[in-house]
Amino acid sequence: MIGYLFVGLFYIAILIFVVGVLVRIFNWARAPVPLNICTPLGQQKSLDWLPRARFDSPYTKWETFVRMLGEVFLFRSLWKNTKYYIETQRQTATKWLWLFAIAFHWSLLIILLRHIRFFTSPIPDWILLLQSLDGILEVGRPELHMVTILVTNLTILLGLFGLLGRRIVGAKERAISLPSDWLALILIIATVGSGIIMRYFWAVDIEGVKRFAIGIVTFNPVLPPLDLFFLTHLTLVSALLIYFPFSKLVHAAGILFSPTRNLPNNPRAVRYINPWNPPYTGISWEEYYEMYKDQLDEIAERGYKVGGGG
Amino acid sequence: MEEEGKIKIEQRFPNWSDLLKPITEKDFKKGIYHYPARKSDWEGAPLPPVYTDFNPLEKDWHLPEGWKETFLSKMDEFRKKYRELFVWMDICVRCGACADKCHYYLGTGDPKNMPVARAELLRSIYRRYFTWQGKIFGKWAGARDLTEDVIKELYYYLHQCSQCRRCSVFCPYGIDTATIVWIGRELLTHIGIGHRFSLISIAACLRSGNHLGLSPMGMAGSLESAAEDIKEITGVDIEVPINKKGVDILFVAPSGDYFATPHWFTLMGYLMFFHELEERYGITYTWSTLAGEGGNFGTFYTYKCAQDMNGKIYKEAKRLGVKWIIGGECGHMWRDKHQFMATMHDIPDNLEEPVNPITGTYFENAKSTKMIHILEFAADLIKHNKIKLDKSRNNHWKVTMHDPCNMARGMGFFEEPRYVVRSVCNYFYEMPEHAIREKTYCCGSGAGNLADEVMDLRMRGGMPRAMAIRYVHRLYGVNYLATICAIDRAAFTALLKYWKLQPPVMHGGIFELVGNALILSDEDKERELDLRGEPLLKEEEVKEAVEEVVTAPTKEYVCELCGAVFTDLDECCEHAEKEHKIAKAACDMVCGEKR
Ligand code: HEM
Ligand code: SF4
Ligand code: SF4
Repeated sequence: MIGYLFVGLFYIAILIFVVGVLVRIFNWARAPVPLNICTPLGQQKSLDWLPRARFDSPYTKWETFVRMLGEVFLFRSLWKNTKYYIETQRQTATKWLWLFAIAFHWSLLIILLRHIRFFTSPIPDWILLLQSLDGILEVGRPELHMVTILVTNLTILLGLFGLLGRRIVGAKERAISLPSDWLALILIIATVGSGIIMRYFWAVDIEGVKRFAIGIVTFNPVLPPLDLFFLTHLTLVSALLIYFPFSKLVHAAGILFSPTRNLPNNPRAVRYINPWNPPYTGISWEEYYEMYKDQLDEIAERGYKVGGGG
Repeated sequence: MEEEGKIKIEQRFPNWSDLLKPITEKDFKKGIYHYPARKSDWEGAPLPPVYTDFNPLEKDWHLPEGWKETFLSKMDEFRKKYRELFVWMDICVRCGACADKCHYYLGTGDPKNMPVARAELLRSIYRRYFTWQGKIFGKWAGARDLTEDVIKELYYYLHQCSQCRRCSVFCPYGIDTATIVWIGRELLTHIGIGHRFSLISIAACLRSGNHLGLSPMGMAGSLESAAEDIKEITGVDIEVPINKKGVDILFVAPSGDYFATPHWFTLMGYLMFFHELEERYGITYTWSTLAGEGGNFGTFYTYKCAQDMNGKIYKEAKRLGVKWIIGGECGHMWRDKHQFMATMHDIPDNLEEPVNPITGTYFENAKSTKMIHILEFAADLIKHNKIKLDKSRNNHWKVTMHDPCNMARGMGFFEEPRYVVRSVCNYFYEMPEHAIREKTYCCGSGAGNLADEVMDLRMRGGMPRAMAIRYVHRLYGVNYLATICAIDRAAFTALLKYWKLQPPVMHGGIFELVGNALILSDEDKERELDLRGEPLLKEEEVKEAVEEVVTAPTKEYVCELCGAVFTDLDECCEHAEKEHKIAKAACDMVCGEKR
């Protein structure tokens, strides 16, 4: 009986996640971007012989696309981070935030991809390859017992605790952290934690999990194994899926809609159109002439010029 | 910091829930809060017909009937009109990467001046009224009610942003607090709250064509006296065309250039440059009195103001029948010309795609708007050796360059000015890397903050920039700050003096340097003065002056952190950077002369 509850919960969570994110995207996409407000972070295209920053100041769609790839996969903007010490007026480059963020996100991506092994049968080769690459770290005494430690399990913890630590230690970060910021991190840490416990410390019925997972994707539900840690993990994942569309976590989709980064720096070459551009109501030459008739006539009398020794 | 002894930066971080609480008029600081708009200016601008007459220091701001509903309905309208607002309200993760990037935060230490906190001022309202989480969980979801105090806070902090976009450089999603502030200021106008300094200029510009409200003859007179000044220094008679039809080029400059000092010398540079092109190549141009303002204070106020202000340029280009347009040295003007103008107006069909008739260079990057920067044009001419220059006439200047925020992060304009500066003077030094190019620091007075009543804010906000200038001044003896922005040229006068840099560090436009170096074909006497009327250095004097800089630091420098001794300040700085992670910009904190 309790098994059905979890099947239901998981389906609902997936549904909320998918619909929620789509609605978000739909709402954003419906709003126009009135101006090309690209933030160029390098030399624009102008004279051919000037060295130009192709991907910081993209001119074509293709260059803009590469810029976005850099943002999404390498967090290039965070890479540029600096720290300013107000007391002493010092300024240095800092990469901590970048490091934690990239460690967390890449590990998360790989971990999610590895989860595909539960939902497929047979398991695609590239997943298996990913799995074995991830598991290059082995500890233990060779003659007795070896444990494969997945690299991403370590790096995701590094990333998550790094991000959490920043918010605890940094005065600025602490002041701007809202409860929802803590919630997101703690939710993910708990999810990751329950997963890691299952992997290394608490044997679960992997066969049962796999049957359940395949049941989910084939719409042929099979009840999950009634295992404390697995059910906790499943509940946390569902909570995360439900929480995702309604929180800052939608930044994953939102970054693609950020006009400072996804527009090319070419508004002088290609006219950018604002769909709601209002009509011009400023001054016209006629009104202006009316106002300053005498003076404008005087300039005309002088032959439209001043100076020249005359 | 002590030596200036005037600014004290206090930092105190509240917890998240205190940060959500609005400040009130009691917390407004003199020198930081702006004066409200005057009724006459309000009425001269395309703003909603609800003017609020308020005194920022009084409790009751006399907000109009139903202000709350108006504000919220406009906010709803704007998020549907501006995707950037909508997306950015939703996705900020409060990572704080932007926090210590804002010069106002650095200078005031006020946590609400962190860009993320500035955006949260609006975001918290957005959450409360437009998301269910905010409606249900209130404060716990980071939401807060829209009260009169919140409006006060918005007024206070939205005008402590110079829309420099520096925060946007470091944000992983490119969230541009400047744009949020822009939209926020427009929101305030819908409940009648206006900003005096911006609106004075906007209203004047809509009436007279320029921010200063100069009449056509006022402008003509100015240009005439600049021509006279040139005559005095070079002996050449210069004719300045105004409102002339049928010429090749319409030239548009910020009005500060023909009115203020040190802008004036830049204006002289423009006039000499165009005169030379006409003499040598028969290229004709004209000024326009109606399109006598390149700047556009609307670009940081409201969309409609911006639109009504930049429209006149295409209108005049059409009426005068020119082929294309060149723009002068100004920062926010170019954000407008690069990103806004052609979207807001139809491009007149008499304009042609800009091709330099002298070199044949096709300015593909401006093929739609038909407007190029005078430095793009000059760089092209210099590259092809089409104008004669005598660099040594700028030998009395050791130059560094300040990238104006809008030229940098609104346009990506870095190499053209540098190429020109290097071509017209012998001594050019860069400020430290975190303070130039796309990471450039604001002068502290942009986007309406040039008002006198916010002098404290300006001097504080300009501090990171001033520190970087001080660095190159001490290290290389820099005595000229080149900047291609009219606001800067006005702002640095106060800033450099405040930070005890001026004199000796003077500031001005790049075209002043071009004007100095430019050899006019009809110039027959040896120049003895630069455009400022200062004597040029003779060959021998140059050598001496240079040697002085090169030899001066034979003294010894000591690193105060470890006691290491160097014969060269540069080396000491490098050491400090390597060993103690002290940015070069701040090297003077640890490297001192050995006593
Ligand atoms: C296109 C995909 C994504 C990109 C480009 C991206 C980028 C970023 C960046 C640059 C940060 C800021 C640095 C930081 O605060 O750590 C961040 C934060 C964060 N991301 Fe993502 N992200 C993506 C997907 C996701 C996904 C799918 C999730 C999770 C379920 C997620 C969860 C988080 C969380 C919780 C934080 C906040 C960390 C903190 O509170 O300090 N992200 N993301
Ligand atoms: S850098 Fe961007 S995401 Fe991070 S706090 Fe600032 S605005 Fe928000
Ligand atoms: S745009 Fe500039 S002034 Fe405004 S918040 Fe960002 S860094 Fe500060």
